[in-house]
Parts: sequence; C-alpha cells; structure tokens
Amino acid sequence: MRSFWRFAGGLLALLIAASATAADPAKVLRIAFPVAETGFDPVKVSDLYSNTVNEAIFDTLLTYDYLARPAKLVPKTADGMPEISDGGRTYLIHLKRGIYFAPDPAFKGQKRELVAEDYVYSFKRFADPSNRSPYAFMIQGRIEGLDEATEQAKKTGKFDYDAVIPGMVALDKYTLRFKLTKVDYLFPYTLAHVVFGAVAREVIEAYANDTNAHPVGTGPYMLKEWRRAARIVLEANPNYRQEVWDFQPNADDAWDQRVVAAMKGKTIPQIGRVEISVIEESQSRWLAFNRKELDLLAVPPTFVGEALDDQNNLLPQWTAQNVTLFRAIDPSVGYSFFNFRDPILGGFTKEKIALRRAISMGYELGQEIAVIAKHQEVQAQMPIPYGVVGYDPNYRDVNQYDPALANKLLDYYGYKRGADGYRTLPDGKPMVIHMATGTAAIDREYSELWKRSMDAIGVRMIFDPGKFADHLKAAKACQLMMWQAAWTADYPDGDNFMQLFYGPNTGESNNGCYESKAFDAMYERSLTLSPDSVERQQLFIDMTRQVQVDGAWSLHASPIRNQLIRPWVLGYKKHPILNADWVYMDLEPRS
Amino acid sequence: MSAYIIRRLWQMLPTMLGVVLLVFFIFNWVGGDPAYVLAGKISNQEQIDNIRRQLGVDQPYWVQLGIFLKQIVTADFGASWSTNERVSHILLTRLGPSLTVLVPLTILATLISIGLALAVAYVRGSFTDRMVMIVCTVGLSISILVYIIVFQYVFAYKLGWFPVQGWGDSFIQNLFVYASLPILIGLVVSIAPNLRLYRTFFLDEINQDYVRTARAKGVSENRIMWIHVLRNASIPIITFLMAELPGLLLGSFLIERFFSIPGIGREVILAVERSDFPVIKAITVYVAFATIATNLLADLTYKAVDPRVQLK
Repeated sequence: MRSFWRFAGGLLALLIAASATAADPAKVLRIAFPVAETGFDPVKVSDLYSNTVNEAIFDTLLTYDYLARPAKLVPKTADGMPEISDGGRTYLIHLKRGIYFAPDPAFKGQKRELVAEDYVYSFKRFADPSNRSPYAFMIQGRIEGLDEATEQAKKTGKFDYDAVIPGMVALDKYTLRFKLTKVDYLFPYTLAHVVFGAVAREVIEAYANDTNAHPVGTGPYMLKEWRRAARIVLEANPNYRQEVWDFQPNADDAWDQRVVAAMKGKTIPQIGRVEISVIEESQSRWLAFNRKELDLLAVPPTFVGEALDDQNNLLPQWTAQNVTLFRAIDPSVGYSFFNFRDPILGGFTKEKIALRRAISMGYELGQEIAVIAKHQEVQAQMPIPYGVVGYDPNYRDVNQYDPALANKLLDYYGYKRGADGYRTLPDGKPMVIHMATGTAAIDREYSELWKRSMDAIGVRMIFDPGKFADHLKAAKACQLMMWQAAWTADYPDGDNFMQLFYGPNTGESNNGCYESKAFDAMYERSLTLSPDSVERQQLFIDMTRQVQVDGAWSLHASPIRNQLIRPWVLGYKKHPILNADWVYMDLEPRS
Repeated sequence: MSAYIIRRLWQMLPTMLGVVLLVFFIFNWVGGDPAYVLAGKISNQEQIDNIRRQLGVDQPYWVQLGIFLKQIVTADFGASWSTNERVSHILLTRLGPSLTVLVPLTILATLISIGLALAVAYVRGSFTDRMVMIVCTVGLSISILVYIIVFQYVFAYKLGWFPVQGWGDSFIQNLFVYASLPILIGLVVSIAPNLRLYRTFFLDEINQDYVRTARAKGVSENRIMWIHVLRNASIPIITFLMAELPGLLLGSFLIERFFSIPGIGREVILAVERSDFPVIKAITVYVAFATIATNLLADLTYKAVDPRVQLK
C-alpha cells in the first residue's frame, strides 16, 4: 500500500512538473510580417523574415543574452562557451546532453538526440555548391579543409558529406572541434548566427526536393502550418528541453526590471502557438493592430503620426488602452558610396577627395530624417551603428552637413560654376554625377532631396533608376558612380561594417571599390585582436576617420523601430540581432 | 465547325511562339540578373557564376529558349528560383484564392451591369439616366486604390462589417467572410465602366428598325428589352467579357495585397520583384494561352447566340 502511495505521489509530481514546463497551447501570439518569407531551410534563405522563423525552430551553438546590451554571446546548445586555443585558431565545443529534435516522420518514431555530427553536417551544407547558400561567405576560407571540399564538389558534381573535414570534426557524440585557417576571434559570432542552426541529415535527405518546407530543429518551436507568403503557424516543440528564463536586467533600466519581474523563473517557451500573417500593406497592418487582431506591431512610417506625438511619446488614445511603446535604434546604417574607380569621383587626389567630401557635406541629412523618415532615424556618425562593438557615442562624423564649407571646398579646388549655376571639373570639362536609384516612391523622395542638396552646391546630379540586381551587378564591377544603400548587422561587431571598405573585398561587399593601404593595414590588424581589446576599439575609430577623410561614403542614418505592444504581452524587448523575441515572451489573457 | 476549331487551334501556334519570344527577350534584356540577388549580401564572382550555372542563365540564348519551349510543351516550369517551390504548385495553390474573389465578382458585375444598363438605356435622356451617367463618370475617375483604402477603413475597421484582412482554410469562410469586401470593392469599381459601355451597346440596338417593328406589333417592352435587344447586344458584350476572362488568371494585385489574399496577383508581383523567371514565364504563357482560347470561345459563343454568324 505504501508503495502505491509513493507511486501515485511520484506520478502527481510528474504531472505537476509537466504542466509547469509545457508551453500553454491556449496562449496564441498573433504577429505580422510586412514581407513574404521565402522558406525555412537555413542554408538556402537569407531574408530577415524566413530567418526570424528559423531562429525559433533551429538551435545554434551560441546565441545572445536576451537583455544584455550591447549584445552578449552566451551558450545555447553548447555546454559553456567555446574553449579557444592555438592562439585563436582552434575552438573546442561541448554540447549539452539530452537535446532532442522536434518529432518528424523522418525519425521513424524515434526520439532523435542532437549530436556534434549534426553541426558538422549543417556546416558542410554551406560549402556544398549545389545549395548556393547566400551565407557561404561566413565560413569560406575560414575552416581548414572546407574550401578544398567545395572545390572537389565542383569537380565531381557532388559534395561528399561523408568525407572528413580536418577543420570541423565531431570528436565524440557531444564534442565538436573547429580548426580555423587563421586566427579568428569573430568565429563565435558565426556559431551564433541563425543560419548555422543544427539540421538532421535524415530530415534533409528525406525532404530533399523541398527542404524549405520541412524545417525540423531542436528549437522551442516547430512549423505547424505554412501557407506560403500568407500564413505561418508555429507550435511549441514538445521535445524542447527544460530551459528556464533567467536573464539579468541592465542596471537602472526600468523596462528590463519589468521584463524580469514578468518572466523570471518561467520555462521557455511560454507561448504555445505563434500565428504569423504576411500583411504587406502598412494600412492593413495598422488597422489589424487597431482592431486587436495583432498583439505587436512595428509602427509603419506612414502611421507614426497616429501613434506618437512630436516628442515621440505615445498618443493618449494608445496609453488609454495600456499599449506600450518600445523604441530601439536598429543595428543598421544608411549610406551612399562613391566609386573610387570612377574617373570623375574616384581616386585619392586632393580635388577628388574634396569633391566627395563636399557632396557628403552638401547632403541635407536633417531633411532626410525630418521629412522622409519623419524623425524616426538618428544621424549616423560612424559606419558602425549604435549597439555594435566599435561604436563610439562620442565620435562625430568629420563630414557634417555644411553647404557653405562644401561650396568653399569646391571653389578652392577649381570646380568653377558655369553660367547655368552648375560646376565644371577643374579642367573645365562638364561634371555630372550619376546616382543609381530604385523605382519606388521612397526612392523618388531621396532623389528629390539629393537634387535639391546638390543644386545648392552647384553639383549637377542625374538619377539612374533601375532594378536592384542590375545596380548590384554594376556596383560589383565598380561601374556605379554613386548608390544609396544600407547595411544591417549580421553580427554585433564593427568588423561586419568595416569589411565593407576592405580593399580585397572589392567585387564582393566593397561596392565603392575603396582601396586604401592605410585602411587595409588597420583592418588587417583588427582581425588579429580580441573583440574586447582596447587597441581594436581605437582601430575602429582610426579606420572610421580614414574613410571619412578619404570621403568613401556619405553617411546617412540608422532607423528607429517603434514597437507597439498590447498590454497582455509580457517580456518584450527588442534585441539588436535576435528577431524571434516571442521565444522569451509570455501572454496574459486578452482584455 | 470542327474544321474551324482545328484551324483556329493551329493558328494559335505562331501567336504563342510570338508571345514566348517576346517574354524571353524582354526578361533577358530588362529582367536583371537573378544570380546577384540570390547570391546574398556578400558574394564573389565565382559564387555568382555558380548560381548562374545552376539556373542555366549562363547558357547561350538559343539553349535557354530551347529549354523554355520544352517547359511549355511538357507544362513543367521547374521550381521557383527564390523559394524552390514547384511552379505548378504555386499556380495551383494561388489560383484558388484569386478565383474565389474574381469569379463571383465577374458574374455579379456582369449581371448587375447588364440589368442597370438595360434600365438606363430604356429611359435614355431622362433625369435618372443623366444622374446614373454622372455617378458612373465620377466613379470611373476615382482610382481603385482610393476605393480600397476608404472601404477598408470605413466598412472593415470603423463599422466592423468585414475583416480588415485575412484568408482562411475553408472555401465558404473565404467566400462569405474574407472575399466579401474585396468583391464589393470590385463591383463598385467595375460596374461604372461596364454600365456605360453596355448602355451604348443597348442604345445602338434600341434604335434599330426591328425594335420599332416589334413595338408596332405590340410586343411587350419587357420582351423587347430582355429578349430582342439583349440578344442582339450580346455579341459586343461577349467580346468584352471574353477579353476580360484571362485577367482572372492574373488576379487583382492591389486587392490581394491590401486584403492579404494569397492569390496569383501577389505572386506575380513577388516574382517580378525577385526576378523569378520560372514563375513569370509560366504565368505569362498561361495567360497568353487563355487569351487565345477565350478568343476562340468568344467566336463559338457568337455562333451559339446568333445563328446568322458564320464561322469561316
């Protein structure tokens, strides 16, 4: 009899524990994507929204602390941070045990544990040319033997997944060793990047014809329903490990305190179901949020005036509904690059540098922020945006808006004004600056602002509208004179932005074809230093100064995200790199 | 009749070939190189070349054209370059939502327009006729975008009569809940031009001698209008309707976008934005085929409606 009661007590305890840990299926979060996703095979997709979903489905070895700012790496499936040896070339990683993939027919009814070989396989997929991965650049040339495997696959037409790659070995079931081709302190960021989440080989092989439609990972959610470009439904992964919400608030941050008070000690995830609708039109998203059909909304720029007052505070109609606002600067920077191989704009002679800097000083950035962005941008002072390692809040761009100085510079270097008010080149030949642009309404707004700004300093600017792919092709061939672009952090380190100026990256990511020996030397030095090194921080500032003195970019702004949050949503905080915030959130009953 | 149909089908070949050549060369000239987009944020020439090789866009034009022709013959356009989804699956799954809106819309718009046009043609020159024409002219002058924005705001958001946006899994729910407002907007937009056009067709017939003769013989006005006039005016109406039918395959981009309807119109725009040639090729070819087929159908319908029509 005693044993019966012991058994019954144990069973009851198990039931209570199970109910405390399981995500509640009744908690349904409804959100919207403004752009359609493309699929959910981590190796094949590169768009933000597909990767947002993947972040909830697949587990990377490392991730970021939900609350820490600036973003801080923490282990995810790794049992502790990597052990780095060999002067930064070898990374040894131990996996946590007892992590299981979400159930799938490919596992034939068995519970499938995550092992080190899954990561080896997942990384190999990026080197397989047949996958044509948009993120192959993150491992190319970095892991010993991987490029050779790619070359072999090109010759044979098939990637050999069974071949051993010396730089990427599963030492045992739970131990993984990466050997890099050179010292690389940024490699942990690769390990935390969403695309490097673990997939199971048998799943990929079972659904080889459409891997985009069958994402199976070890993350907190699994794909329940997918109506392409319309609706994505995620449900909590029943095999998800016991993970407790235990993040530390930033000191003196009231928002963090509220988040911690609401979430601390809860199991992850709390929300049982996430319904994502693809709603492309901003009016439709806005009205859906107004009708309480969405729980969270990034305020579309056209509706900022209906959400915020002049001081960017929530309007009373929202506070009356207990809606809260979270404002965050995105780790992104807008800029216009100059082509350093262009006969009019390019080169390092003084008059060319003066021309580029004058154009930068002549651009009315304040008008962009006030009129086009409706004050939902902050001026970028460095190519490295706020919240990213290397950003210095005290640094100021040397090419601030100053049309008077821009005119003086151009006068001084012989860019004389003609009868029509436009300047000529110092040799008297006509000077026309061609700016590549898109065909959307917002592109026309930018073009008008550029035209007005350049007219004020006598620079004739002509706009060449075209398709993104065509402009990109021309830029990579160093054939675009100027083009406005933006770069969003792949990882929260200044390197991700500084590599855009690195000479050898011309034709890859250095679309301005800027090649400065001084800059390249500093950049190469920065690669050998630890991310928390003081010297590296100073190098970022020196590199910034160099590109600004050379006039490599006309630096614009970083966007501000205004997130409206219904009162029943708990634990929201926008992370600069992570996007599937709902993994760490909870819901109360709707009112 | 069968000889005529066979001849017309045979004549479709050069037309289709013209469409194929036009689509192929337009896309290759202005479509942009998809490899640069698919290669991602950071890519080198080798990766781009690898993608171009896999997509087949590095092949000589005549080889690519040959592949295109083979795809048409086998009705297999492969997979989308950006999502890897089979093109056939894209068409099958997106066509349903578009047709759920556009088929009832076309039927209702046609019936209502014909009824109203007959009525105003009958009272031509009256105050009612003038007022209807003024309303139609005003209605015609307003962009569909305005109707969508205003109707979505007023009827869906403010009054709550319809959902703001969305699409479900059940056909009945989609038709009567989610498609109702899009259909209403479509009706408002299409009835005005249809009514004006059909009115002119009916007025042309009302002034014919056979109408006067029928009246002289004492035939009722209802019979004159609904039987004699409608039948004789039906040929231009059929021509107009048949010309509109292939548009069903394209969906209504703006309506689908604002109401988040996962139809073919949105898919076309997505494909163009992503330089997704397989999807664009398939849709263009099917629309061209549908256009030619409905032209043939229109000719056959003329014969059915008016036995005096000779098919040669």
